[in-house]
Amino acid sequence: MFEILVDGILWDIALVVFFGGIAWRIVAVFRHGMPRDLAEPRGSGIGGAIMTNIRRFYPRHEIAPKIRLHVIAGYMFHVGLFILLFFAAPHVIFIEEHITGFGWTPMPYWAFVVVSQIAFAGLILLWLHRVLHPVTRLISRTDDHIASILVFVVMLTGCMALLESFTGLRVLHRFTVELLMIYFPFSALMHAIMFVPSRGFTGALFNRRGVKV
Amino acid sequence: MRQGDAIVVDAMTTSRQRRRRYMTWSLVLLLALTLVLPLIPYAVEYAQVNDSSLVPNPGADLWRDVRQRDNPVMGQTQVRGVDTGVLIYKSGEDWRIFRMQWLAPYGAIFMGTVLGLTILFYLVRGRVPIPGGRSGKKILRFNLNQRMVHWFTVGIFLLLALTGFILLYGRFVLIPLLGPEGFSITASACKEAHNLFGPLFLFAMLLLIITFVKDNFYERGDLSWMITGGGLLGEDTDAGRFNAAQKAWFWIATVFGLALCITGLILDFAVIGQSREIMAISHVIHGTSAVVMTGVLFGHIYWATAGMEGGMESMTTGYVDANWAEAHHNRWYEEVKNEGEIEKPSEKPGPGSASAIGVASPHPGD
Repeated sequence: MFEILVDGILWDIALVVFFGGIAWRIVAVFRHGMPRDLAEPRGSGIGGAIMTNIRRFYPRHEIAPKIRLHVIAGYMFHVGLFILLFFAAPHVIFIEEHITGFGWTPMPYWAFVVVSQIAFAGLILLWLHRVLHPVTRLISRTDDHIASILVFVVMLTGCMALLESFTGLRVLHRFTVELLMIYFPFSALMHAIMFVPSRGFTGALFNRRGVKV
Repeated sequence: MRQGDAIVVDAMTTSRQRRRRYMTWSLVLLLALTLVLPLIPYAVEYAQVNDSSLVPNPGADLWRDVRQRDNPVMGQTQVRGVDTGVLIYKSGEDWRIFRMQWLAPYGAIFMGTVLGLTILFYLVRGRVPIPGGRSGKKILRFNLNQRMVHWFTVGIFLLLALTGFILLYGRFVLIPLLGPEGFSITASACKEAHNLFGPLFLFAMLLLIITFVKDNFYERGDLSWMITGGGLLGEDTDAGRFNAAQKAWFWIATVFGLALCITGLILDFAVIGQSREIMAISHVIHGTSAVVMTGVLFGHIYWATAGMEGGMESMTTGYVDANWAEAHHNRWYEEVKNEGEIEKPSEKPGPGSASAIGVASPHPGD
């Protein structure tokens, strides 16, 4: 019963909420618009947006030593999760069978083990930093903690189902994924998509005013 | 008829009847023997088959050769690899007996005893308060990096301990609750998680050792601290940044933690040519180390939480009260005091203070 629900209607609901929610959030942000800038621009808005999007991938040297751990752990987790999501063998098969109709070469098992450990280490370190650092602890909301824990649970159930011997474990993993997909558009997890327009907006604004980005 | 003739006739009649009776019984006996005698060999064979002590199992020699109990010579096989010529690894039974009859029961007894003694100690001794109460002055005991390394190790260890003990004790505890199928799913999930998180523990242990080893070497006064039980059995003795018990815990965690890591890697990655004997020995060390480390961890958790006021906050906020430091780590307190690193109540780092955001902190990593 639970398996039918998870593989069936809940998956459909999760897909609709995920893509519909993301579209709604993006449209809502862009509908806000911005006040017309009457001053003569000192630089290109588009150039500033592109440059800032690239520039923010590495920290400014003034603060780099202080956030070294944060940056390293951030890359460990995000890059690791991206690789796991798109190159783990069960995911490639799932994407081929249920979404795209075509697949690609998955990574070998040993690579999966290495990447998943890097991703787990990064996620745990980031969450510990959020909890233990007085500033990040203060500015963190319940949403941030739920997002971190939910992602951890999804990754954990995925690893538990790795043997692919029990349907129950696969269903459990898929259920947590569906919960994550439903939660995604209404949470801080939206930064996975919104970081591009967010950086772009800041970069365009600054570059038009002649501020070095 | 005369009386004499009548007697003769009666005697003849009696003799005939007796003869006839003898013949009848003889025929019956003959018939019975004819039927029974051929069955005797079958009966004997049946009795021998049911008495295994009399007749050896015709397959015994074959299985003895297979198990190679008497002749530990490897067989021939096309499969190339370690121990591939051994059909049944006889020492595996020794390992199984160790796991089921020694590690599981005595491990539970050891951990249960430590836990019970800890609870008993708490009931008798109660919580140790900060002598003189809280001063309001704070001392930075552990910076952000140190706390992150500590909790990273804790998190990984707890996950490994939970999954590991489910694998060890699950059949006793979880099968009655979940049933065999439920337990097999749980065990499979735990095995995968245990194997995956295992190498991370090595990473965590190395970070932990590098971070804390500097202050955990033997110092003068540690022995007297240990003899007096840190003041429990006599006058309180002085201690540096870490007292003798904390140093002992550090080295126990280091030795048994590294043993766990090394043996865990041998068990996890069976692709480096290790034999089954090496795997069995590794498991013995792995299980024993896990039990010892978990047992001692109970004591560490007790003193950090319920056992002593003001201890836990050193690993959550990073700061301890000055009175706590002076009472339990007086030598370290004097060092910090001389360096002027005691913060007055008003200097306690708020969310926007320099030390809180790490802009001008004198402590690297904070």
